[in-house]
Amino acid sequence: MKTTIKLAGCYHHLTLLTFVLSTQSVLEEKVEQLTDMTAKQSIIHLNLNKFKEYVRSPPRDYSFVVMFTAMAPSRRCAICQHVYEEYLIVANSFRFSPAYNTKLFFGMVDFDEGSDIFQMLRLNTAPVIMHFPAKGKPKPADSMDFERAGIHAEAIIKWIQDRTDVQIRVFRPPNYSGVVAFAMLFILVAGFLYLRRNNLEFLYNKQMWAVVALLFCFAMVSGQMWNQIRGPPFFHRTKNGPVYINGGSHGQFVLESYIVAILNGAVVIGMIMMIEAAGGVKGTEAQRAQDGKRRRLQTVVGLVLVCVFFSLLLSVFRAKTQGYPYSFLFK
Amino acid sequence: MTTLAEPDLGNGRNKPIFNNTTGFSTLITVTVLLLAWLAGFASRLFAVIRFESIIHEFDPWFNYRSTAYMVQHGFYNFLNWFDERAWYPLGRIVGGTVYPGLMITSGSIHWLLHALNIPIHIRDICVFLAPVFSGLTAISTYLLTAELWSRGAGLFAACFIAIVPGYSSRSVAGSYDNEGIAIFALQLTYFLWLRSLKTGSVFWSICTAISYFYMVSAWGGYVFIINLIPLHVFALLIMGRFSQRLFVSYSVFYIVGLLLSMQIPFVGFQPIRTSEHMAASGVFALLMAVGALQYLHSLNPKGQWKKLLIVGGLMAAGLVFLMVVFLTYIGVIAPWSGRFYSLWDTAYAKIHIPIIASVSEHQPTTWSSFFFDLHVLVCTFPVGLWYCVKNINDERVFVTLYALSAVYFAGVMVRLMLTLTPVVCVLSGIAFSILLDLLLRDDDLPTAPVEPNDKNLYDKAGKVKKRAPEPTSQADFGLGMNVRSGALIAFMILLMLFSVHCTWATSNAYSSPSIVLASYGNDGSRKILDDFREAYGWLSQNTAEDARIMSWWDYGYQIAGMGNRTTLVDNNTWNNSHIALVGKAMASNETAAYDIMTMLDVDYVLVIFGGAIGYSGDDINKFIWMVRIAEGEHPKDIHEADYFTEKGEYRVDSEASKTMLNCLMYKLSYYRYDSGGSPPGYDRTRGALPGNRGFKLTYLEEAYTTEHWLVRIYRLFEMFITSVPTDSVVYDFLTVLAKRIENFMMIAAGCGSRLS
Repeated sequence: MKTTIKLAGCYHHLTLLTFVLSTQSVLEEKVEQLTDMTAKQSIIHLNLNKFKEYVRSPPRDYSFVVMFTAMAPSRRCAICQHVYEEYLIVANSFRFSPAYNTKLFFGMVDFDEGSDIFQMLRLNTAPVIMHFPAKGKPKPADSMDFERAGIHAEAIIKWIQDRTDVQIRVFRPPNYSGVVAFAMLFILVAGFLYLRRNNLEFLYNKQMWAVVALLFCFAMVSGQMWNQIRGPPFFHRTKNGPVYINGGSHGQFVLESYIVAILNGAVVIGMIMMIEAAGGVKGTEAQRAQDGKRRRLQTVVGLVLVCVFFSLLLSVFRAKTQGYPYSFLFK
Repeated sequence: MTTLAEPDLGNGRNKPIFNNTTGFSTLITVTVLLLAWLAGFASRLFAVIRFESIIHEFDPWFNYRSTAYMVQHGFYNFLNWFDERAWYPLGRIVGGTVYPGLMITSGSIHWLLHALNIPIHIRDICVFLAPVFSGLTAISTYLLTAELWSRGAGLFAACFIAIVPGYSSRSVAGSYDNEGIAIFALQLTYFLWLRSLKTGSVFWSICTAISYFYMVSAWGGYVFIINLIPLHVFALLIMGRFSQRLFVSYSVFYIVGLLLSMQIPFVGFQPIRTSEHMAASGVFALLMAVGALQYLHSLNPKGQWKKLLIVGGLMAAGLVFLMVVFLTYIGVIAPWSGRFYSLWDTAYAKIHIPIIASVSEHQPTTWSSFFFDLHVLVCTFPVGLWYCVKNINDERVFVTLYALSAVYFAGVMVRLMLTLTPVVCVLSGIAFSILLDLLLRDDDLPTAPVEPNDKNLYDKAGKVKKRAPEPTSQADFGLGMNVRSGALIAFMILLMLFSVHCTWATSNAYSSPSIVLASYGNDGSRKILDDFREAYGWLSQNTAEDARIMSWWDYGYQIAGMGNRTTLVDNNTWNNSHIALVGKAMASNETAAYDIMTMLDVDYVLVIFGGAIGYSGDDINKFIWMVRIAEGEHPKDIHEADYFTEKGEYRVDSEASKTMLNCLMYKLSYYRYDSGGSPPGYDRTRGALPGNRGFKLTYLEEAYTTEHWLVRIYRLFEMFITSVPTDSVVYDFLTVLAKRIENFMMIAAGCGSRLS
């Protein structure tokens, strides 16, 4: 209220009083309307008029957090949907939390409904989450930096707490999708086992288990876990065409890790072929009766697989590691 | 056990020396193992030869300091040691917060050598402990692999593990750390476990438990054992491989191992109170239930008992599981600790525990790290796994589970590459052994002794008959000389590539002591940068005995070990809020930092600054983590975004943010800095000219800067010094005093973190 009184300082006492009263009532009315809207929908959809009335024009004693976004499918903004979901969680958590008060409201502007607001604020990217403080104009820090903080609800809440001192506890609607998927899988497996209850031989199929174990190993040693955690691009596009191999040893692309998994797999297959051709381990000597020609061919093919693909692997590694001196067959 | 190799004596082409087969194969085994030991030892000495016999890095300095303390004051005083020199003003109970196995090991060696009148300094024992243990690891790997497959495979595995970079990364000379001896204990425990499972004898089970005890005393990674062995038992139960042997070996191992592990003060009651250990207890209970049902079944083998066995087993498993969940829920069992939990939920640490996420060895692993650490083994170990699964038996179930779990953990965390390496060596040893065995079988190449055909050499001659017809039709069935020798040569080249790679990797990547740096000129001349020891030496000579040094936690152990001075935080990161306070001091401006530092009774501040020589691991580069950790505890005062430019870049030049240019860390790094080439004051590490230069310090003065500006030490002005050389701030004694009193009251009120 300080600002309004200051503004009114030059008026006559009577006008001052009515002015204060009227701003008071305007404010109360606004807050009431906003509360009503929030009760219906925890994120208030704003158009130009509403935006001007509730967000920009005084009197205000509340903070307004507004997300500027472009949700229409034609805009093809994939991240907008994610941010919207997280933002909705934040707004809902606040709406249904014991700390709920009328000092903070959540709004949202869609580009297709309020492109003039975007122009007014000179925004040319979406999504943006901005905070409009109760007093004064938004500062640079009042726009949230997704790149550094991330788009998780926790990050948004931390940022809001930073800007407004309102503490919100995230209440995520329990994510049943994982449980459902797990239950489905369980039911599927159980059902499958039940249907095949008279013929469970396949569970004793060592070949199948061995293949599963090997696939898991290939996934891990080719750095799929790194991809999962760091989320690198599939490959890198440059002016000179796509780059499939990351130049540094501390990074990798998704496609690169697939290539490495295939190279590893080829070496393993080559080596297994050689072993089988040479007679195999006791117990897997099915090929003993083969004629020598075919065994020789299989050995040579296996050897070529091992040497060529290992050399390829080595040269890819060499390209990534600075100053690595060794190579085999290929530079 | 399946012997891999067929006897090949029937060909009758062997030389007479092969007749004394047992002696010959033992001779080969012993020779190869000794050579592996020697090669492993020698390849770990690069650091000693290039620099000197010195303890490396950070944690080893603490281990060395504790060992020296134990040798000097005796074991019981070591167990009761309260270190008032660390974590000032809190102190640290060292005896109860370390794994003492390492200190006891080197202490016993020291005692033994001195009992034999060999006077050797404890430092040399510490430096050479890990290389010596690498040979023991090779032997235990040999035993493990021989138990799994054949002795030939065991020799391959032993040679691999002796030199593989994934293991030598943690065991070069001078790297005096728990992992160096723990991998030996790990492999030995696994070998003894398989032996006890195979024999079902109580003796071997007790041996397993004792080896497990040694592992518990040596490294926190013992949790891997106490989860993997129960997992193995559980898998065997599911596969219907229950046996009396399993019952005896696991129950003896579990009970004795549990009791022994609780004797380590640091572990204490954790084995019965935390989730990490619950798998072992649950499997124990399940095994008892299955054992009881089996007994009932044996009383009346006919009838409906089989169904009861299965249903009862399932019900017991469910019951045990629910019990553990219930106990966790009501709080009897502590839930998974953050460090372990982050292995499953890989995003957990990044959000909740920045101090774990900040350490580079806790990052996930790229494929090139796998290749760097394992080289050809990375694409041959799946072959060994393939044949282990295809020829499954009780022991190979174990190695399969070991491989799958270790490869997962290594994918999540670079550091856990260390637990993957041994199993990769085992499986690759098996793969190479199968292949070379087959390739060499019908040949009488002069290289034959390279392939240790040991087990088969003294096999019974009766088996030979089976293959008697083969030589006659050799031309049709055999692979022929050319193919065999071609393949052999190719694989020899692969193995040679492996060994040069190992030497190269150990020499270039893992043999840097990191407290002595080397730089190479254009002509290949070498220059040693010994700034760290210079600074720590200065501290120990020129500061008061009880001076308190503030630095970032990375350097705590080194200051305590080499400088022998009190530190505020160190590499044992047990108290996050204390670290955050130091981080906050570094991230605040000088005035605010001074308040924190006086509150913490700091006398000197030490920062590492690499700008003059282009050393990238300095404090400015680590600074963002200090900010992050400080923000975690003091979100009101520190905001990470303030330290970045508007565009979100991390810079130190004139574009940098104001907060950045005025924080304590920045000022202490660039104060009076005029080196680094042209223009003077250029920061070589960041490749930028600092944005804030020529400033004066108000509350601190420069005490010492090392030759290459690498370590800079500042002294805090005492608050009673009234003649503070200052140009901008009028430094009033009374204001300081008032502020100080205010601080103390704040501490008393329990809000010590909210300052000014």
